[in-house]
Amino acid sequence: MASTVLRASPSENIRGDPVLLLPVVVAAGLAVGRLGLHGHFSGMRVAADLALSWALVAAALAVRERPRWRRAGWLLATASFAVLGADLVWAASSALWTLGFLLAGLWAALLVHLVLAFPDGRPWSRVAQIAISGAYVATLGGQLVGAFVDPNTRDVLGLAPHETVAHTVDRTQQITGIVVGLVVLVLVVRRLRVLGGPARRAQGPLLVAAAVTASSAVFCLGSAVATDSVSSALETIVRAIAISMPLGIVAGIMWSRLRRPELSELVVELPSGAGGMRERLARALGDPTLEVVYQLADGRSVDATGRPVSLPDGTDRAVTAVTAGGEEIAALVHDPALLDEPALVESVRATAGLVLENERLAAEVRSQLAEVRASRGRIVTATDAERRRIERDLHDGAQQRLVTLSVALGLEATRADPAAAAVLSRAQDDVEEALVELRELARGIHPALLRDQGLEAAVEALARRAPLPVTVHGTVGGRLSDPIELAAYFVVSEALTNVVKHASATEASVLLEWETAALRVAVVDDGIGGARVTPGSGLAGLRDRLEALDATLTLESEPARGTTVRASIPCGS
Amino acid sequence: MIVDDHQPFRAVARELLERAGYVVSGEAADAAEALDAVAADSPDAVLLDVQLPDRDGFAVATELAAAGDGPAVVLISSRQADDYGRRVEACGARGFISKSNLSAAAFAALLN
Repeated sequence: MASTVLRASPSENIRGDPVLLLPVVVAAGLAVGRLGLHGHFSGMRVAADLALSWALVAAALAVRERPRWRRAGWLLATASFAVLGADLVWAASSALWTLGFLLAGLWAALLVHLVLAFPDGRPWSRVAQIAISGAYVATLGGQLVGAFVDPNTRDVLGLAPHETVAHTVDRTQQITGIVVGLVVLVLVVRRLRVLGGPARRAQGPLLVAAAVTASSAVFCLGSAVATDSVSSALETIVRAIAISMPLGIVAGIMWSRLRRPELSELVVELPSGAGGMRERLARALGDPTLEVVYQLADGRSVDATGRPVSLPDGTDRAVTAVTAGGEEIAALVHDPALLDEPALVESVRATAGLVLENERLAAEVRSQLAEVRASRGRIVTATDAERRRIERDLHDGAQQRLVTLSVALGLEATRADPAAAAVLSRAQDDVEEALVELRELARGIHPALLRDQGLEAAVEALARRAPLPVTVHGTVGGRLSDPIELAAYFVVSEALTNVVKHASATEASVLLEWETAALRVAVVDDGIGGARVTPGSGLAGLRDRLEALDATLTLESEPARGTTVRASIPCGS
Repeated sequence: MIVDDHQPFRAVARELLERAGYVVSGEAADAAEALDAVAADSPDAVLLDVQLPDRDGFAVATELAAAGDGPAVVLISSRQADDYGRRVEACGARGFISKSNLSAAAFAALLN
């Protein structure tokens, strides 16, 4: 029901397969055994070379399961061939001796290439590129030049034999080899320190083996330079140590495979809470940087908490899509090294599909909730702006005209005859009453004092206007944002209105308290209590307004014990 | 002098004050005009609306008070004193009259 789409493309497709070289290497190994008749040769050396060669073939076979490592496979196969090729110097034929002479050391250059361009065949850096080139020049190039001047009588290319020049060529090769060996050592150690997660697991054993091998090679070459003689025993030891490199590659692959049984945990333990699945997948895949991105039905991408996120498009992160029923439900964003373990990713993906589908639905709900919350906040903000506009319109329009009318009526009343004056005075009283009502209406819509002078002044004015003694305690220390001031003001205003209308209280007090990140407001009275928040009431509307700000409204109102209305309004930071 | 952006109100106020025996030196519709007119005419008192199109009446009153022996300022507004908290006292004005309560007597009471 599910399939994996690997969006990050595997490295270039290399035709052919290193495994095809296997029979050739076997034949060459046997041939070396048959031909090894000339002069004095070391049985230990032949044994070490055969072991190294066959270990390289084994590694070449092992990397076949990883598309990105194919180039490494070729290098391994070629190196296995080069190891045996160099042993042709023990053959009786002069031509074969010369071929063996030319190939001497090539295997080492191939291994340098293998390590410094591991795993996808691209050199790690410019320095790595130079070291690889240096290794080839020192081995192949050096042996070619050496062949022209080598005094050995079996050298068919020895056109200008010269003892001193041949010695200088040897020396130059050895010193270059030491430099390359040291560079490899430094680069490998550095790489080991930065690699993490699945890449470290898969490549670590090879890198450690490379560091040990490079050290032994540097020691061997250094001793050759120092003593001016090549120790065959040391050379054999370096080859024996080099066997650890192909074995390291095999070990890395095995290590990655060994993790797979842990995947059963994925289905057994159902995750709890947002993002529980991410932790589990990260653990199963050994990639702490793993992220899960859920694809919602409306095309948006969100994380487990419902926050919108975008998928990476660079090459430093890889994306594996998870589909269910033909629909893409999620994407795993991970270390590209995991692409080397397609079977691992596939089994995780298949196992996790169902749980991921559940988490996606949860993420969708969270995302919609966040959307609703945001839109509720926007509605409150828009309503407040509208209230402000209406208040200003009332003040600038109707109120101004009525005021002028009232003053004019008063003025006329003073000079009219007594009968007309009485009529005018009554008219003025009516206008005054209308003005009072209008003023109250405007104040309820959006208090001008709050806008101009802030919460404390506006609350003090509410207290002064109340028909019972109201004391205000506490301070908020300056201006707060519009929605917060307005919400707090409406809490006090609504609570005091209720006190006057329903509480039969003799006094009330208002408490304003500014705490880190929250404004607390409380209105306490000594009335009859028993108040409740009923649907459609002023307090219910107030609670909606407060919830849009993630604020809370609580009501304590035991019968005969007074009423306390409390609000806590978070103010962000 | 009368400062208010609402022309019909200025007309009513002028008549009210003139009938009580005051001489209205001039009228202004915004803060800038008001400050220019005060500098030109040196009135004894200014009836100053709180809400003006360019700056508010408190700012104008503060500026006039800072100049030293300026005119006595009486603030007026269609809102009530309550709506402005302590700003009236703070700006150096003689007092505040809600527009609908404006009368020559109230004006005179604040000036003396």
